Amino acid sequence: MMDTVNSALVLELQDVWLRIPVNARETRTLKKALIRSVTGGALSQTSRGAEIAALRGVSCRINHGERVALIGHNGAGKSTFLRLISGIYMASSGLFKAYSPVFPMIQKSFITGAELSGLQAVKGHYLLMHGNLRGFSAFLQEIVEFSELGDFIHLPMKGYSEGMSARLLFALLTSGNHDCLALDEGFGAGDARFFERAQQRLGEFIDAAGTLLLASHSDALLRQFCGRGLVFSQGEIIFDGALEDSLSYYHEYCC
Amino acid sequence: MNTVVSALRVGWRTRRAWWFTATARTRERFARTALGSFWLGLSNLLSIAVLSFVYGAVFKVKDFNSYVVYLGIGLVVWNTIAAAVQAAPNLFKTNAGNIKNTNIHPIFYSLEEWSFQVQTFLQSFGLVLLALSFFQPDLILHLCTSGLLPLLNLLLFIYWLPLLLCLVGARYEDFFQLVPIALQLMFLLTPILYKKETLGSLGWTADFNPLYRVLSNLRQALIQDESSPIPSLILLAMNIAGLSISVWLLERQRKNLPFWV
Repeated sequence: MMDTVNSALVLELQDVWLRIPVNARETRTLKKALIRSVTGGALSQTSRGAEIAALRGVSCRINHGERVALIGHNGAGKSTFLRLISGIYMASSGLFKAYSPVFPMIQKSFITGAELSGLQAVKGHYLLMHGNLRGFSAFLQEIVEFSELGDFIHLPMKGYSEGMSARLLFALLTSGNHDCLALDEGFGAGDARFFERAQQRLGEFIDAAGTLLLASHSDALLRQFCGRGLVFSQGEIIFDGALEDSLSYYHEYCC
Repeated sequence: MNTVVSALRVGWRTRRAWWFTATARTRERFARTALGSFWLGLSNLLSIAVLSFVYGAVFKVKDFNSYVVYLGIGLVVWNTIAAAVQAAPNLFKTNAGNIKNTNIHPIFYSLEEWSFQVQTFLQSFGLVLLALSFFQPDLILHLCTSGLLPLLNLLLFIYWLPLLLCLVGARYEDFFQLVPIALQLMFLLTPILYKKETLGSLGWTADFNPLYRVLSNLRQALIQDESSPIPSLILLAMNIAGLSISVWLLERQRKNLPFWV
């Protein structure tokens, strides 16, 4: 599998660390800032102590066309890694380069508020992606058909059921192609009746992506889409290799 | 400087999206009302009518017509600045879900809020100007001859100042509590209901009050057809500096935003 991929580099990480401030609320008051300013920063060490290294010295290279599985327990660093490569988080130290835009498929809400209609949410999303409305009618029709919203698309989203919102969001995010896709397994797809159609669409969407990074706990899902595996543990990549080897390593040493 | 330019480029590239979502919000706000966005101007006109009537009597103004125009323009501009400032501290919190889960540049949210404020302002300002023309007919003419640069200054100011406050609000949780208090004090300190001369020996406070500088620049241009563009150009330079600093700070703090909200 590793030999068949296109050699163009998409992502490059060398000794990347991501430190996240925890209990930040306690250290974010004007009072603390004033104290720090008059004590010459003497207290900053104690406040900075509340940090967690979410990614620790991560190094890897991902080439165009690779399908990479992110494997690990909850809290191992998979989702943080996805957010980092998508540009949501920025590395605290180390070298990180993305040679292609990475689309994060971890979005859980629309860019518009719930008081606006589904149509306005679709339009806002389309304008953000394309910068204009050329081809919007066909896009909208496809979204409405797939999400089965019908005339509800004209109503404010605050009146939608959870399933309706999930279907619309799913239809929106799986429209179009992306050169590099960062996908989290927790990505919702609405009610049970919708599930089968959603699976088929997701499969086609993933197949169309140039490069894939998929975080999941499901071996079957990873086997369906991926050829390479990165095993995460406590923010580190502890194994990088072919998918079957990665899964074996994970089940043998991490479970 | 490069980071400022690249952030502004993102803002420009996504302009149609943030302008659209702001427009949708503006329309939605009055969707179920009979008068629609006409309310924006009407509420300002009601405030102007009541306040000019009361304070006209309190200050025993001799020329009521010019006082109504003075207070009216001052109030509509102040309301815009106050609304933009009040919305600022919670802006990133409101968009926390998207900041944590999408790679949309945060400048998008600041521009969306800005365009919402601009649309609100333009609608109320238009109606107020039209109504005040009854008292001073050359207001609209003055807007065209000398008011455009001061208007641009106001629009720039209501972008960069709230953005600056936004970043402080995201960093310091208790900042939000200070904003309404500070705004109330600023309203009393800023010559809106009264003339600057009324401040007497405290007149210098108005000179150092940036809100007053922006407000009076536009008000003077509209009322007196201020011919010298120099004060406006100085203000423009300050606004460009403020804009650059705010956007630079946004870029600098961008990496912390997902953890602060």
